[in-house]
Amino acid sequence: MADSRRWAPYLFILPAVLVMLAGLVYPVIDAFRLSFLDWEIGQPIEQARSVGWSQYRRMLEDPDVRESLWVTIRFGFWTITIEMALGVALALLLEKPIRGASVFRTIFILPLMVSPVVVGLIWRYLFDARAGWINHYLQQMGFEPLVWLGDAELAFFAIVVTDIWQWTPFIFIIVIAGLQALPGDVIEAARIDGTNWWQQVFLVKLPMIRSILLIALLMRLIDVFRGMEVMYIMTGGGPGRATELLSLHIYNRAFNAQQLGYASAIAVLLIVLVFALSMAILAVSNPMRTRSDI
Amino acid sequence: MMRHLLATTCFALALGAGATESGADPYEKYAGTTIVVSWPALSHFQAAEALVDEFTEETGIEVEIDALQYLKLRDRQLLEMSKDEGEYDVVSWVVMWKGEYVAKGLLTPLSQLFTNASLVDPDYDIDDIADAYLQNGGVVGGAKGYLPGKSGALYGIPFGAETSILAYRKDIFEEHGFEVPETYDELRALMPEIKEKAGIGAMTSRGQTGHQVTAGWLLHLAPLGGRVFDDQWNPVLNDAAGVEAAEVMREIVRTGPTGIPSYGFSEAAAAFLQGDAAMYLDTLKIAAMTRNPGLSTVDGKVGFALHPTGTRCGSETGGFAVGIPANAPNKEAAFLFIQYITSKHGDRRMVELGGDPIRMSTLTDPEFVGKYPEYSVVAEQLPCADPDWRPLIPEWNELNIDVLGQALTRVITTDEPIQPIMDEAAEQARAIMEREGYYTWRDYRAGQ
Repeated sequence: MADSRRWAPYLFILPAVLVMLAGLVYPVIDAFRLSFLDWEIGQPIEQARSVGWSQYRRMLEDPDVRESLWVTIRFGFWTITIEMALGVALALLLEKPIRGASVFRTIFILPLMVSPVVVGLIWRYLFDARAGWINHYLQQMGFEPLVWLGDAELAFFAIVVTDIWQWTPFIFIIVIAGLQALPGDVIEAARIDGTNWWQQVFLVKLPMIRSILLIALLMRLIDVFRGMEVMYIMTGGGPGRATELLSLHIYNRAFNAQQLGYASAIAVLLIVLVFALSMAILAVSNPMRTRSDI
Repeated sequence: MMRHLLATTCFALALGAGATESGADPYEKYAGTTIVVSWPALSHFQAAEALVDEFTEETGIEVEIDALQYLKLRDRQLLEMSKDEGEYDVVSWVVMWKGEYVAKGLLTPLSQLFTNASLVDPDYDIDDIADAYLQNGGVVGGAKGYLPGKSGALYGIPFGAETSILAYRKDIFEEHGFEVPETYDELRALMPEIKEKAGIGAMTSRGQTGHQVTAGWLLHLAPLGGRVFDDQWNPVLNDAAGVEAAEVMREIVRTGPTGIPSYGFSEAAAAFLQGDAAMYLDTLKIAAMTRNPGLSTVDGKVGFALHPTGTRCGSETGGFAVGIPANAPNKEAAFLFIQYITSKHGDRRMVELGGDPIRMSTLTDPEFVGKYPEYSVVAEQLPCADPDWRPLIPEWNELNIDVLGQALTRVITTDEPIQPIMDEAAEQARAIMEREGYYTWRDYRAGQ
């Protein structure tokens, strides 16, 4: 009896572990194996030449990888900063039961429900230089039309705007859930102590939901490193490599240039980076370790 | 699986029936077979769907079409063809992939089927197919591996093949008294003039990073006398002609419709078809597209002319060819299908359905020449179609997308001097060729 009780949790976890092994661990190990081979699709894998660590050495010296990494970091910085600020601000505004709050909330989370491919298409056509709405209205206001997706700076701006449009609701929805779950007596106590609205927000509310904010930040950060669909549709990574996030760079290497081994090596770098980032954030504050938050 | 089972059953039944009436109908043996065709979602191939239905009706061979965006075909086909048993019976490739497909052993040499008298239609007349198209799309292994030559073998038949011509807006040219440019000098002088006087983008072009911007540049490289490699595989893309072609690209972007650096094939065509550019210098496919009311607002206002010349006449060789994967389950039925759609009858039907012909007999047919103004231009242009327009080698994809595709984006989106950009690209190209062993023999001879 005692014995079965000891094993039962493992038994229940087992299916999840198996799914994780098959769906995640196996591909990662396989990518690692592939990163030591020089292989192209269409060639039997047994015939692939083993090249040792040379793809990793090449990766470290590759200016294209560095550039793509830099694009990813810049993209992550701008999108996550603005999304966090906007998402939190919107949540604070719609936290109170104002008239029509539920309608606004629904509208705000709509972008989240749209598939990334559709998001890419919508914004690609909005930013289209010749027939897009944005240029149409710019011209009506007397401005010169801009080549949004064909200019390095503008294209980067365009993908940042698109990402903010799609993902701010994610921060919003998480933060508003956190705010609404805050115990009312604490807020009331703060009010009785004479705090104003700003003090309540920055000294009481936000610190109390900090683990939620951290989880939201972490998830967005990982998303930035994984994200590629929207840029793939909008710009394909161009012009040049101006919008080629690391995942898209891996895709382009693997399927356009047919360097699957090399692409796998970069993919391993990506996994290591995301893992390290996640660990760093968790080390600073692990929301799973403490129960002090909601 | 179910389909296979069904196909096998029908095949067996057909065989049984064939035993009594021996071979009166070359298709009978294959009636009920289903073949799977992988081809691009482009207008020529969409037009071909009606012809495919006619094929099924006549032969009893069912056809399942898997249509994809044209640049996505390669991944899908490579994956399918590298399996032990593939799904595809017919694949349609952009000519630039033929070397890679054959080098990897993924295609069936058509000689294996042309030796089967019960399959080959004696009236097929392969010599009637425009030679530039046949060599460019179907023959692999000749001179330099991709040019015509005695070591070459036939792997595919052109279908949706093309060369480049100039399309221009007759109404705008007449209104402002512009002359249709015959040379690159005239073209370069005309572009700013159109922009200034007519207030419309002079010429549209592809310009998106990667394959598209490189295709735009190649259109000017050949007539200006340039090449990507010389006969010894030394990159010469940075010589005077290469740089001039890049200058032409930069001028086109500056005088053209807004947004060329973001244009792929469809966007470039749309700019012309929707009246935002006065000229289009690219594939002849534009002619059929101008007549398609779903795409075009300029039908009836478009004239066609030869691709302008620089130091020589040299137009594009490109588009598609169809062939049979080495792992195709139904090779014979696939051959019958290819033969049908590229036969004289099939070619004429394609024209009637709004597609593009591959046969000289169709291109010079008085009935069609009277009806389609571009046919006489195309027939005159074809002898100039340059088989060495781009190197159709397995490494081309990397050069095309990663090297030239990046360098030319810098050319058209910045004001940096062009020569150093092209020099850098040539260096990168040399490194790739070195890595892939193109200089092995030269080094060996030098060491002797």
